[in-house]
Amino acid sequence: MLRTDEILSTIEMLHAEHLDVRAVTLALNVEDCAAPSVDHLCRKLKNKIVSRARRLVETCNRVGAKYGIPVVNKRLAISPASTILAGHGHAAAVQVARTLDAAAAECGVDFVGGFTALVHKGISSADAVVMDSLPDVLSQTRQVCASVNVASRKAGINMDAIHRMGHVLLKIAEATADRQGFGCAKLVIFANIPEDNPFMAGAYMGAGEPEATVNIGVSGPGVVCSALKRRQARERNLTLGDLAEEIKITSFRVTRVGELIGREVAAELGVAFGIVDLSLAPTPMVGDSVGEILKTLGIDRIGAPGSTAAVAMLNDAVKKGGLFASSSVGGLSGAFIPVSEDAALAEAVERGHLVLEKLEAMTAVCSVGLDMIAIPGDTPAETIAAIIADEMAIGVINDKTTAVRLIPVPGAKAGDRVDFGGLFGATPVMEVRNTGASDAFVHFGGRIPAPLQSLGN
Amino acid sequence: MKARFDNVYVLDVMSDDHPGIVAAVTTAVESLGGNIDACSQTVLGGYFTLIMIVSTPNPIDPAVIAEQVRQAGTANSPFQVLARRANAPPKLAPADPCGRFVITAFGKDQPGIVRRFSQYLAGRDINIVDLYGDRTGDEFVLIGQLEVPTRWDIGMLQTDLEQMGEELGFTVKLQHENVFVATNQLRVSYST
Repeated sequence: MLRTDEILSTIEMLHAEHLDVRAVTLALNVEDCAAPSVDHLCRKLKNKIVSRARRLVETCNRVGAKYGIPVVNKRLAISPASTILAGHGHAAAVQVARTLDAAAAECGVDFVGGFTALVHKGISSADAVVMDSLPDVLSQTRQVCASVNVASRKAGINMDAIHRMGHVLLKIAEATADRQGFGCAKLVIFANIPEDNPFMAGAYMGAGEPEATVNIGVSGPGVVCSALKRRQARERNLTLGDLAEEIKITSFRVTRVGELIGREVAAELGVAFGIVDLSLAPTPMVGDSVGEILKTLGIDRIGAPGSTAAVAMLNDAVKKGGLFASSSVGGLSGAFIPVSEDAALAEAVERGHLVLEKLEAMTAVCSVGLDMIAIPGDTPAETIAAIIADEMAIGVINDKTTAVRLIPVPGAKAGDRVDFGGLFGATPVMEVRNTGASDAFVHFGGRIPAPLQSLGN
Repeated sequence: MKARFDNVYVLDVMSDDHPGIVAAVTTAVESLGGNIDACSQTVLGGYFTLIMIVSTPNPIDPAVIAEQVRQAGTANSPFQVLARRANAPPKLAPADPCGRFVITAFGKDQPGIVRRFSQYLAGRDINIVDLYGDRTGDEFVLIGQLEVPTRWDIGMLQTDLEQMGEELGFTVKLQHENVFVATNQLRVSYST
């Protein structure tokens, strides 16, 4: 029999603090859809996705209602598009992307990830097709999300791919200039891309995964923030150790909810349950913010000295609580700091408290990288590439996933405000200093060799 | 629970709460040669209540057991006691297959809250296996652990209960118990 205090504490977390399951992502292997004719490929692709995923949204809604926990986003992820586009060209890539868009709409999901190329050691002809098609793909589709892995601990950093992506980003921004470069918000450039990440825009179906699997992203930071505020209201003389403990306990409970829902959704769909991703993923809603947590931990101005240490503590405590709660933890599993999607971070940028370099430092100790950052549209491709290279270096040397989701906003300069709408939020355009000063470094090209950490055997 | 002896009784004791009640009651039971096979106590609003399953090697008139326990009370703190034979095994659960759910209701207190919800549940053969209610200030909280026959559509029950809550000014939720198990217990054992 459950105890009354157990029921009451869960009710408080679920309803007063609005706990939800942030994302249920059904990942599908679509490699068997490859075909010499692009029309045939697209027919197989749409049939497979729709037949496997048509019950996803209804199942998530029903299971969520049974437990009184909403599943906010239902998504799809597929094998890297490069695996089915081998032997095809640009037009085929765009047609595949449109097919994915149509399949996602038919299933009622909000995004489909996996328009992906893995180029950390080199660029195959199919990878090149995927990368170069991104301006058309991301401007002509609504729900397709893309990712490119340009670095790994084992391979090092592919500077040729990074340089190419610098130019591709600018072209995507131009192709979606009427939406302030929004196409770039659907593209993540990774180091050490996880194969089982449920979060967009970087979700894709990894090579080591089963035929189909359900991966779960748990609730946002609002629950953690509320737990910290409640503890501080109840007790005095708390130490950071006490607050870390509170984060850990909350993370444990949130993770358990995610796994409960994920396993049931997977069982109902007849597919394998994959992982729970512990990431604290903010939304632009007030209170659902990693920045707010930092304020609750005593950092009055996000970006002030202490911000990196506070994020590190938060990230570590979340992992510890989540790991004890579930034996199926994966994905990115950290605290996200996406600027436009986090109202407190966007405000800190607006007030001049938070700059690009401090964000980069914070990403060294959390997940996932320089995320949802608007930069001036005239930032040179080489400077964008150098920003990407810096972030990839943090990932490769620290043996962690890092990523970049930069949006060069056409015609905008530092300080201008852009609004991407909905979950993508609004932010001031951030200043990029020392533009043009890394050109020679980027033009060397080639590959930064794999670090010492790659030789772990 | 399996009784030690063949003659089984259910014993119910109520008193104002103070130290020593369990000791007094069990001493009285032991003096009759009785064995305690199961027991559960609750304290609510300063009042103590105890229910016990007691078995004896030889038959005893339940009135004798009740009187023996009653005499264990004092003039300042008398015991109200009921005793009856319990030889037939009680029906523990409805015959229909059931799922375990928790209903919670929060709102401004008024007479009739528990009645309205319990009447609704009774009308659908939903068994209340545990009930908790508490008034703090003007607010009343009601928590019921339920066995809900699987023939019911949970979404419909949720809609009905939420509507009833709205009419009473209450926030009502009906949720499967596994979410409470998942968030509170280290070693999870989920019910269906």
